Parts: sequence; structure tokens; C-alpha cells
Amino acid sequence: MSPSLLLEVLRPDFLLRNALYGCMTVGLVCPLVGVYFLLRRMVFWGVALPQVSAAGLSLAFLLQGLGVGWLAGTEPGERHLAIMGSAALTAAAILALVLLERRKAGFGEGRLGALYAASAGLCLLFVSWNPHGETAMLGLLKGEIVAISGHDLGILCGAFAVVAACFLAFQREFLLVSFDRDTAEILGRKVLLWEGLLYALIGVTVSLGVMTAGPLVIFGFLVLPAMAALPWARGIMSLSLLASLTGGASAFIGFLLSYAFDLPLGPVAVCLAAASLGLSSLLRLALHRR
Amino acid sequence: MTEHPLLDLAGASIGYDREPVLRQADLAIRRGEFWGILGYNGSGKTTLVKTLLGLLPCLKGRRKGRPLRCGYVPQKEKLDPIYPLTVSAVVAMGAWRGLDPFGLRSTDRLPSLVSRALEEAGALELADAPFSSLSGGQRQRVLVARGLVGEPELLVLDEPLAGIDIATQESLLALFRTFKERGLTALMVSHRVSAEKGLFTHVAWLEAGMIESGPAERMFSEGRVSQVFKAEL
Repeated sequence: MSPSLLLEVLRPDFLLRNALYGCMTVGLVCPLVGVYFLLRRMVFWGVALPQVSAAGLSLAFLLQGLGVGWLAGTEPGERHLAIMGSAALTAAAILALVLLERRKAGFGEGRLGALYAASAGLCLLFVSWNPHGETAMLGLLKGEIVAISGHDLGILCGAFAVVAACFLAFQREFLLVSFDRDTAEILGRKVLLWEGLLYALIGVTVSLGVMTAGPLVIFGFLVLPAMAALPWARGIMSLSLLASLTGGASAFIGFLLSYAFDLPLGPVAVCLAAASLGLSSLLRLALHRR
Repeated sequence: MTEHPLLDLAGASIGYDREPVLRQADLAIRRGEFWGILGYNGSGKTTLVKTLLGLLPCLKGRRKGRPLRCGYVPQKEKLDPIYPLTVSAVVAMGAWRGLDPFGLRSTDRLPSLVSRALEEAGALELADAPFSSLSGGQRQRVLVARGLVGEPELLVLDEPLAGIDIATQESLLALFRTFKERGLTALMVSHRVSAEKGLFTHVAWLEAGMIESGPAERMFSEGRVSQVFKAEL
């Protein structure tokens, strides 16, 4: 990679700037959510929810393809319906998982595995039944962010800015209800309210993120940067910032590599996030041996 | 004139999801008392404490008492060591009261309150250590400091001696005795009877869905808890 490539990519009139900004936004913000997936030991939620969201998305596209739905016909309308389908199914899955967990019913990990398997199967079925746009949909599921429009990027950046602001502003509340629920209640926190907000932010991030980057990229950015940052953090703020920077850097370098070598952007970015986790583990091992 | 209880349960049935764990519970906690909430595992000790603190509603009967500034010391196993927190950060949580999302009300007093609470709990030298690196006894001391940092009117200790070696148990008991001497109102949940006997001013014994309570002296000399106490010895 040459410096000229870097200059070219950073130019304001760069042709694929929307893809770069979209990928960076996902890379910077998803790890803020992923920190809580990791600390609350909900990593499997990070696998299952993006897949549920993708199933919602492909169902919405299928309905549009079949001519069902009042928003079908116009492109912005179709995108809105797709976002709604993705968000609705994600919200329903979160609600069901939380309720079952609170009742301590069944086997939690098995439930998430079943949810993942069912969503993945349904997602592929919805895509195969769709008379239109199967190629575009499959591209999305594989993590192709290149085609993101200015309008979609605007929605993504706006929503993710709110998500990031909430995670930074309400860090104390999210930490307290996650680390020690009983103490949070005794200290007068509305635990249900804060957990509700946390799950709502997770829902928004996953459904919008999947709509933009696909389930693989979202799962990767939810889990890998937070895992890479954890050994080096000395508090929740440093963990959040380190994870976010790791995600942002993986996204940016991933974009450069993808552009330079004509590789699919999503998988490259995820592999780089995984490499950052490997590097973090090796560095930790080396320091322990000293 | 008798002082009004800080917390008062009268004829209360308590439990979860309409299933009572304890029936006809009567208990009045007054300022300066040190209560032992004793009973076997699964007898409803934690349920009783949660009801007393107002975290669970009574299924029947009533709970009276104004909202109190409580310090809570949970069982150390309930806190996941995966969180990258220093000891000072864990202790500071005990002073996070009310809605203050942006930390606007955190004052310069917080660090000195944290240091004082750590010193009182005998854990000042651990202030900068990662919470996850502590031994069981050290972790318990840090959680006691967190319970103290908010200057509580009532300190609740949930099985603070469970899973800790004898020497550390003794030093923690000595610490709790200082709380009793200075008149701090406290509730301590335990599934044993003998070790903490001298600590309590009052005892509630929970067994088979019923509660027996009164001054420690009387409880340890008569009734069901005295039989258990003698058997433990």
C-alpha cells in the first residue's frame, strides 16, 4: 500500500467514501455495545441477534418482492420497510430472550443456538423465495458495505451517534446494573429502565448495523475488538475507548486492504479485528513470560 | 418512649411469584441493633432481606419504614471478576446514589470517602489493585468498604464469611464488632450460628417457612435456634 492510496481514499470526493464512512462508523460504535456483551457474558447473543436481524431483513425484502406491504414500490420506502422488519424481529427476539432468562426457563445457551440455527435457515429460505434482488441480498448477508447510499449512511451515522452518546453518558448506570444488580436496586436505580435502555440500544445497533454491513461484520465488531481490549483496560471507560479504537482501526485498515487488493470489505475488516485479538493475546503472553 | 423501628414487618408473607417462602413474618429493626438473619440454605434469608429493603413486595401483611441509606455487601461470588475494575472503582460504586448519569454531582469528596472506607475495612493498600486479582478475603474487605462508603444508616452483609479461611474470618468478625460498638445498624445473613454468636444483638431464625426472632441472648438460650447452636458446638 502506498501513501498515495491513503491520500486517494481520504479525498472528500473519493468514489467509495460512503462505504469507508459506513464501515468506520460500524467499527467504532459496535464495540461500545460489544463491551457489555462480553462483560455480561452474552457473547452468544452477539452471534444470534445479527442473524435474527438478517432474517427480519430478508423477510421484509421477500414481502416487498411479492408486492406485499404499503411501502413497497419506492426505493426509500423499501429501505424503511426493511429496517422496520429487521428492527421488529430483533426487538421481539431480545424481549423473548430477556423474559425467558428472567424466568430462568430452559437452557440459555441452547436457546441461543436454536435461535441462531432457525434464523439462519429462515434467512436463506426467505432469500431463495425472493423473486427480486437475491444477488443484492446475498451480498448484504456476506458483508458487502460498498453499495451504501448517502441516505442510508445518514441514518446509520445519526442513529449510531445517539447510541455512542448513550453508552458514554450512561456508563455508570449500565456498569452498575450489569456488575451488581442488587446493589443498583438498593442504591435507588431503576434497574428495569436501565436494562431496557441497554437492550434497546443493542437492538438499534444490531438491526441498523446488519442492514448496512451484514450479520458477519456486526458479530465480528461486537465481540472481537472488546475481547482484544479487555486485557489492557483499567476501567469501563478505557475498555470502551480501546475497543472502539481497535474496531475503528480494523475497519479503516480493512477498507484500505480491500480497496487495494480488490477483496470483499466485510470479511477483510472482520479478519483484521480477529488479528488484533491474536496480537493482543500474544502480547499479553509475552509480557507474562517476562 | 420506644423509638420507632427503622424497618418493620408485621404478619408478612414473603416470597416470589405469589409463592410464599416465609409466612407470618414479624420483625422490627431499630437503630443500633445488629441482627443475625440465620437459617439453613434455602430457608428464605435473602428473600427476607430483599423484602426488608423494599426490593420485593410483601405477598400479605405489611412492611413499614422510610427509605434508608443502605450499604449492601453481597456474596463475593455474585460479582464477576471479568470486569476490568480497580478496587477504588468498585468501592466508589457504593456512593453512586440517584440519577447522576453525567457524574455532575460527583464531588471532590469521593476519593477521600473511598480512602476512608478502605482504611476502615483494612484494605487501603489494595486501592489501586485490579479487583479481579484479589483473594476471597481481600475481595470481601473491599465489598465491606463499598458498603461503608455511602455512610449508610443500615449495613446489610450477605454471608460475608462464606468461603473464607479461618484467620480472615476472625479478622472480619473483629471488624464487624467495631461496627456494633459504634452503634451502626446492621443485618448479617448467615447459614451458620456458632461463629458469629457474640456479634448479634438480635437474631431471626428461619426454618420451614416460619420465622422466630428476638434478642440474641434469649434466642441462643431457648427455642429452635438454641438447639441448632448446641448441635453446631
